[in-house]
This record gives sequence, structure tokens and C-alpha cells, in this order.
Amino acid sequence: MADSQYILEVNNLCQHFTSGHGKKKMTVKAVDDVSFGVRPAETFGLVGESGCGKTTTGRTIIRLYNPTSGEVLFNGRDIASKMNGDLRRYLTDNIAMIFQDPIESLNPKMTIEEIVGEGLKVRGMKDRAEIRQKVIEMLRKVGLVEEHATRYPHEFSGGQRQRIGIARAIIINPKLIIADEPVSALDVSVQAQVINLLNDLKEEMGLTILFIAHNLSVVKYFSDRIGVMYYGHLVEVAKGDDLYRNPLHPYTKALLSAIPEPNPLTERSRVRVDYVPERDHDYSKEQPSMVEVEPEHYVYCSPSELKKWSV
Amino acid sequence: MKWIDRNNLPEELKNLPDSSFESLHQEDIKDEKFQTKPVGFFRDAMIRLSKSKVSMISVSCIVLIIILALLVPNITGYSFTEQNLGNKNLPPKIQGLEKLGIADGTRVLENRKKDALSDPDRYPEGSVLEILREFDSKGVAMVDVKVDYYKYVGAEDNRYHWFGTDYLGRDLLTRLFQGTRISLMIAFFSVLTNCFIGVIYGAISGYYGGKVDMILTHVAEVLDGMPYIVVTILFMILFGSGMVSIVLALTITGWIGTSRLIRSQFYRFKGREYVLAARTLGVPDLTLIFRHILPNCVGPLITRVMIAIPGAIFSESFLAYLGLGIKAPNPSIGVLLADGQKVLLQYPYQTLFPAVLISLLMIAFNLFSNGLRDALDPTKRGEE
Ligand SMILES: Nc1ncnc2c1ncn2[C@@H]1O[C@H](COP(=O)(O)OP(=O)(O)OP(=O)(O)O)[C@@H](O)[C@H]1O
Ligand SMILES: [Mg+2]
Repeated sequence: MADSQYILEVNNLCQHFTSGHGKKKMTVKAVDDVSFGVRPAETFGLVGESGCGKTTTGRTIIRLYNPTSGEVLFNGRDIASKMNGDLRRYLTDNIAMIFQDPIESLNPKMTIEEIVGEGLKVRGMKDRAEIRQKVIEMLRKVGLVEEHATRYPHEFSGGQRQRIGIARAIIINPKLIIADEPVSALDVSVQAQVINLLNDLKEEMGLTILFIAHNLSVVKYFSDRIGVMYYGHLVEVAKGDDLYRNPLHPYTKALLSAIPEPNPLTERSRVRVDYVPERDHDYSKEQPSMVEVEPEHYVYCSPSELKKWSV
Repeated sequence: MKWIDRNNLPEELKNLPDSSFESLHQEDIKDEKFQTKPVGFFRDAMIRLSKSKVSMISVSCIVLIIILALLVPNITGYSFTEQNLGNKNLPPKIQGLEKLGIADGTRVLENRKKDALSDPDRYPEGSVLEILREFDSKGVAMVDVKVDYYKYVGAEDNRYHWFGTDYLGRDLLTRLFQGTRISLMIAFFSVLTNCFIGVIYGAISGYYGGKVDMILTHVAEVLDGMPYIVVTILFMILFGSGMVSIVLALTITGWIGTSRLIRSQFYRFKGREYVLAARTLGVPDLTLIFRHILPNCVGPLITRVMIAIPGAIFSESFLAYLGLGIKAPNPSIGVLLADGQKVLLQYPYQTLFPAVLISLLMIAFNLFSNGLRDALDPTKRGEE
């Protein structure tokens, strides 16, 4: 999928966790041979059930974990290579992350001003008044008020904390934001609020967003293109509309069939499809690979499956 | 797969205008100011601490003892080294209380020859208060006699030793609080160095993990495995029995506990999302260790320090008891106890006062650290 139109390009990324030594050594292939690309100023949604490796993918891209193998290009520069000061600066200046857990992701011993202003401090801004000014500006942007700067995280609601996390991420003016299930811990009413905020910011600042979620209905609303993950593999990548209109992989079908419909009449007749890899695939003879079935629509399948599905 | 098939919809749903699908929530999100005051972590903990009676009593007890330790040696009018062989082993005598019959400077002398009572050289004028028992032993008339011991040894009238004197005639009140001063200082400094070494060692080992952690942990284990007493004795021989060498001796293995605690706390916190978030912002390791992770270990650390202080006092006493205490004539609670127990049967008060004081200190510090642990418990954050 090598293509210079991508701002972020992930090629054959693997992240294997090992534990134990010798005979007891175990390997978890949290991310296995994942490839996709994200275009500038688009929102790429990454979905999949809990434990399929979405977080790990995001964290490997931003180098919280060292990748086992594979290549990650950001604006053409390989950011999966050996870590050094220069690369670290490049990474931290360009990519920011929003975390899953609104309680866990803010340091309970720091005030909001310290939390949000940290990115500036690290970048060598010394003047406290200037930092404060920027922090307040960011807080306003995410709908908080100046007075909140002196508060500690435990005084905020989940939605507010998540917005603080967003303020922390955007204060350094990143090009790419990896949003790791920023709304999955929030109440539905607040989810919309946070997503709308992200959308506004994206437009205002020209951000590119890698949006991770386990819930297709959230991604559907928000993403231009969607990648579906299953057990460390990317099984289908397509434009949002294509994916909904014409899902090919049985796992995508299963995921889509799990979305409740707003219309009570169609909801009543909604049939849930389940996905059993052993039943749905026969990979004993042929190996599956990523195939472009129509423009911009990739699916992970074997040749015979391709024939069967794309009729 | 079908999503919404417009043709299957019932009439009333078919021709809904687009305006029915607009978000009700149009205005921007804007939050209210909080009505309450911001409360920092420590203020919050202090509020909870001040609500616990036991903690407040024990902390006042500790403060009182510290004040006494600072004050008393300067105002008794005796110095802790001043010897007075004529006035040795005087019993306690306190102004005011003497009229009530306690701490009045009297002692019972047993098995004395009755004849000698009238000898003013041996029993000065007014020193004999009461004859408790008269009996006959091998034809000699004997008595048990209660004497005013201060008059009996010929001390001046205005001499008062509240806690009595020791075998060299030194004022025990002065020595006890001077000893408390030294004991507290030893405890304080040894805990401080333990903390310093333990925090740094544990932080490095916990933060970096992997091979670094493995090596550091094994080194600590080897040190921990050495017999403590032997090491201490070697230390004393090498550096003499001064305060510094006692502090060092208490440090050799003392820091290991702290480092273990800090290491486990680092393991607990370093994977937290807020630490990861800081890392993705490019925060350097040292800032992560000291600014992000360490402040979250402060609760257990303070609790540990508070428990370690009575522990250090106790260890110091223990060393003194073995004769490895601080160099004479300096007292410490342990030295006083060791001296006192040699004459426990004749002069029990010489052991009693230091024993009571050390017990008080231990109980107060332990209760206080319990209260502190509860107060610093992050799960109780914000509770009244
Ligand atoms: N540091 C780690 N060491 C070992 N295994 C790990 C580690 N982090 C994640 N894993 C494993 O990798 C797999 C993928 O985890 P990951 O957190 O990426 O899932 P996820 O898709 O983000 O799930 P969720 O939707 O619940 O957040 C899981 O099986 C998990 O147990
Ligand atoms: Mg996750």
C-alpha cells in the first residue's frame, strides 16, 4: 500500500509480547502484520472487539512500545526505527495521544494547569504567565473555564476529564492525534459532546485523527475510512460508506449486525450474525492476504473466499 | 445488508422533514465554575487526619516529647555529664509531690544495725524518718529503717532530682531528655538517609525494570542477607561508637525496605495512562520519575518513614543494650535502659522512666503512622 498521499503509513507492523523464559515462554501476538494508511486531515477509524490489539497498535505507532517488526512512516520518515533523541522529538512534536480511561489518564497529584501545560514546559517554554495564558486558551477551546486550571482531576466529571485530555494533546499543535477509545468510558449523551468537540477541533486545526473504538456506531458517525481488526489482524479496510453498504468479511458483517438501529421497526427485524473463524474460514489450503476488491476497499481473504464474497 | 428501507416505513415516519433530525443541543459546551474551593492532596489528607482523635493525641504526645527533649536538659540546672559521687543513686524527689509521700526522696534501708542509728556521722540529724521493723539477728539488734536519703547522703536541702540520679550521681531527668534528643536524632538521620538511598535505588530499579531491576534487586538481596549484628559490630569497630557510625550502621540494611516499597510503587504506577500520556508528550525520564510517579508514592512513603522512626529508636536501644551504644558520657534512651537494668532490683526507677518514655514514643509513632496511612489513602480522597 505504499503511497505518498498518506501522512501515516503502517506497513506489516507486528507487536508480540513475550513473557516467561525457556519452556514457559509465551508469545501474545497483539498486533500481527497490520498495514494501513491514513491521509492528511482525515479520520481513520480502527474498530474491533475488546482485546483485539487496537490500543497496542496505537501505542506502537507512538512508540510507547517498541515494534517487533514492521515499518511506520510518518510523512515519509520511518518512526519505527531505533529510538534516539531526534526521533523522539520528531514523534512527540507531531503525534499526540488521547487515552481511553478518563480517570487513569490524568495525574491525580497535578493541577489541570500543570497537566495541560506540561507539553509546553517540555518544549522549553519557561515563562509561567505565558504557559498559563496558553493553557487557559486551550481550556476555553474544549469548553472549560479559566478557573478550572487550578483544580485537581478528581473534581471533574468523566466528560470533562476527557476534554482535559484533549486539551493536553492539542496544546502542542500535533499533526496526528491517536484517540484511543476517547468516549468508550463515557455516558452516551457525553460521548456525542466529546466527539463533536474532536470534530470541530479537527476542522479548525486541520488535524488527522486515528480514532480507535470498539463500537462501530461511534466510528461510523465520525470516520472517513474504517479499518476493522480481529485478533491482531486487520481484516477489512474501506471508506465508511462502502463498509456499511458492502461489508465483505464475515467479522465485519457480525460487527455491523450488532449495531442497534434507531428505527424501532427495523430494529425488531434486525438479525445478529455471529462470527466463528473456524467455521467461516478454511485456511488449510490457501493463505489469506490483504486484497483490494474495489478501489479503497481492502479485505483479508484467501483467493477462493474472494471469489465467493465479491459476487 | 439493508439498513433503513424507506419503503417499509409506516406512513407517519415516511415524510418526516429534515428539521426533525436536528440536534437539540445546539449551543457550545461551556462548563460552570466550581462552587467549592480547590483542595490539594495534602490539605485534604490533613483535614482527614485532624478528624482522627487517636492521631491527634499521638501527635501531641510526640510533639510534647520533642519539646521536652529540647527544653529540659537546659533548664534542670544540672548538666548530663556532671558527676557527683557523693550523690549517687538518689531516689526521685520532686518539689510539691514530696508532701504527698511520693517522690519524696526516701528509701528503706534494710538490715541495719540499730546502734548505728544514733551515730550522727552515719545517720545525720533528721535523716531517720521511721523504723519499720526491729529484729534480732545472731544477738545483734537490727532494724529496717526508712530514711530521707538526700539527708542521709548529706546532700544540700535545696537539691532536687526529679527522676533521681544514677550510679555516678548524674541527674537522670537531664540525662533522660538529653538521651531522648540523641535517640530521636539518630532515628531521624538514619531514617532520612535510608529514605534518600531507598527512594533513588527503588525508583531506578522500578522505573527501568528489566535487567537493571534484576541486578539491583539481587545486590539488595545480598546485602539484606548479611547478618545485621555482625555488620554493625564491624562498623562500630571500624568507625568507633559515635553517632555517625550508629546512623551508618542502621543505614547499611535499613534502606532496603524503603527501596522495595518504592520499587513496587513504581511498578504499579509506571504503566498508568497518565505516565504514558506524559511520555507521549516527550517528558524526560527524570521528570517522569520525580514529578509524575514519585508524588503518587508519597503516601506509603510517609507512612513507612513514620513506622521506621520508632523502629530506629528501638534498634539503637538494642545496640546500646549490647554495649554497642553511643559513646559515654553521652546518653541515649538505650544507654539509660542498659545502665538501669543493671541495678533494676535496687533502684527500679532508673529503668522505669526511660522505659515509660520509650514505650510512649513507640506507641505514639505507631498510632500516628496508622492514622497517617488512613489519611493519605487515596481512595478516601475528598471524604470528610
Ligand atoms: N504490555 C503487554 N504485555 C503483554 N500483553 C499485552 C500487553 N498489552 C496488551 N497485551 C495483550 O495484547 C492484546 C491486545 O490488547 P489491547 O490493549 O491492544 O486491546 P484493545 O483492542 O485495545 O482492547 P480494548 O477495546 O479492551 O481496549 C490483549 O490480548 C492483551 O492481553
Ligand atoms: Mg484499548
